[in-house]
Amino acid sequence: MKIRAIAGITFKEAKRDRILYLLFFFAAVGIIASRVLALLTVGDRIKIIKDVGLASISVFGVLMAVLIGTGLVYKEIDKKTIFTLLSKPLHRAQFILGKFLGLVLTLFVMTACMAAIFLALLFLHTRQFEGAMLTAIAYIFLELVLITAVAILFSSFSTPILSSLFSLAFYLIGHLSWGLELIIRKMKPGVGRTLVRALYTVLPDLENFNFKTEVVHGLPIPSAIYLSSFLYGVFYTAFLLGLAILVFRRRDFI
Amino acid sequence: MSRTSSSAGGAAAFLLVIFLLATASAFMALKVRTDGIARRKVPGSSVIYLPSGKFLKHATFGYSALAADLAYLWAIQYYSTPTIDDRFDHLDHVFSIISELDPRFSDPYEVGAMIAVQEARDPQAAFRILDRGHEKNPDLWIFSFQAGHIAMMKLRDFELAEKYFEMCMKIPGSPEFVPRLRANAIFRKGDLQTSWETWLDIYRTAPDERTRKIASNHLYNVKSTIDIGEIGKALTAFRERYGRWPGDLETLVRTGFLARVPKDLDDEDYVYDPETGDARTRISPWRR
Repeated sequence: MKIRAIAGITFKEAKRDRILYLLFFFAAVGIIASRVLALLTVGDRIKIIKDVGLASISVFGVLMAVLIGTGLVYKEIDKKTIFTLLSKPLHRAQFILGKFLGLVLTLFVMTACMAAIFLALLFLHTRQFEGAMLTAIAYIFLELVLITAVAILFSSFSTPILSSLFSLAFYLIGHLSWGLELIIRKMKPGVGRTLVRALYTVLPDLENFNFKTEVVHGLPIPSAIYLSSFLYGVFYTAFLLGLAILVFRRRDFI
Repeated sequence: MSRTSSSAGGAAAFLLVIFLLATASAFMALKVRTDGIARRKVPGSSVIYLPSGKFLKHATFGYSALAADLAYLWAIQYYSTPTIDDRFDHLDHVFSIISELDPRFSDPYEVGAMIAVQEARDPQAAFRILDRGHEKNPDLWIFSFQAGHIAMMKLRDFELAEKYFEMCMKIPGSPEFVPRLRANAIFRKGDLQTSWETWLDIYRTAPDERTRKIASNHLYNVKSTIDIGEIGKALTAFRERYGRWPGDLETLVRTGFLARVPKDLDDEDYVYDPETGDARTRISPWRR
């Protein structure tokens, strides 16, 4: 109940944030601009619209999660409202989870709006509803949920600027960690290889949520990966939130 | 009261740590499991969307040389991964990006050409990469030299090899043996007259005794090839008329098939076998 209340307030607070609308505006412009880009191509225009549309949802979604998420906890501390909140019978874990769920709800609404614009634009061109796109969008949303947890974690002990940098670095690492797999293959068995393998396993692999290429090209997606990727996202998010709670519990505000 | 609250807090922290360990184990196990699921790829999808180097150069905000280094390191790893079946599909494109980012970076041209020839079995891609290297670095001889070597040794296209070696020898600092490689390419493409003139020029301008000796051996080889060719034609004509090989080469002169019996560069007679009709030099040109 308390988590729900905090989530509701966070949602209302995020709704008033101008940066959210600015990013939404750019995302909408990006999706609609895919139509203009498609005019410049020779061949399959629909592919360009799908690629640019999905990329806009993903990139601007991540920016929303990072730029709003990193300020959520910090603002409460900076404005001293955290004292009022924590003086009530409210556990710090409930505060973190409430903030997280509030932002997830905000991102859900934003993703749904961006997806609606994208699917409408696609419908205008293909005259059919492309249901497969929803799979890619659903996993983009799952990625955004994970990034939100990262932003909340950094926000619980750092300033918004640093938290944003850390979160964006996390996002980049998440999409480039496959490079470690290449290094592992080239390394001789030993301590070094074991350490790199451990690092590779611990670091996030956001490519698990990337189904954009498959849905755009109509490639078959192994059914096992849906559940595996979903559970991976859920457990990684739970781990990050647990870590955020652990850090936030130990924090002294005086 | 405070002891109760502190022990409750300790238990909560302990549970939280257990929760963290459990979730970490779960996501790590899921990562290993997900990695094990094979996903279909669009052929060449890993590089198909790489933008042109010209565009990328502006997007690197002044760090184009660093971007070229990173792209080169990535390319080496990419092309040495045999599990990527379609990795050679955009080889030229990948190396063109590196050359746009840092045109003076010479290793990628050489390594790219080597990958194209040895791994991708695509000599034309190698020529495109090396031509680009020459175009962007007209003062470096290595690219036309390597292209000439590929044309000569891999394609056995001696005309193309001659063209590249000629380009190479015009660049200051090129090795002194490149004119000899060119002369050899001319010989092997069958232009014996030009080959003779080229080797003669090398012989006359040789800076040392060793080079003069090499040129002399090649001149011996060119002259004997011309002479043995003429003798061979006369022998064939003789056999067509008389149905047998002549007893000696003088017979060819007496019967009018040859104006005179040629001698080799050392003024020695060619060796003739009347049983088989073969004429050859007394000694190998390289053992004179």
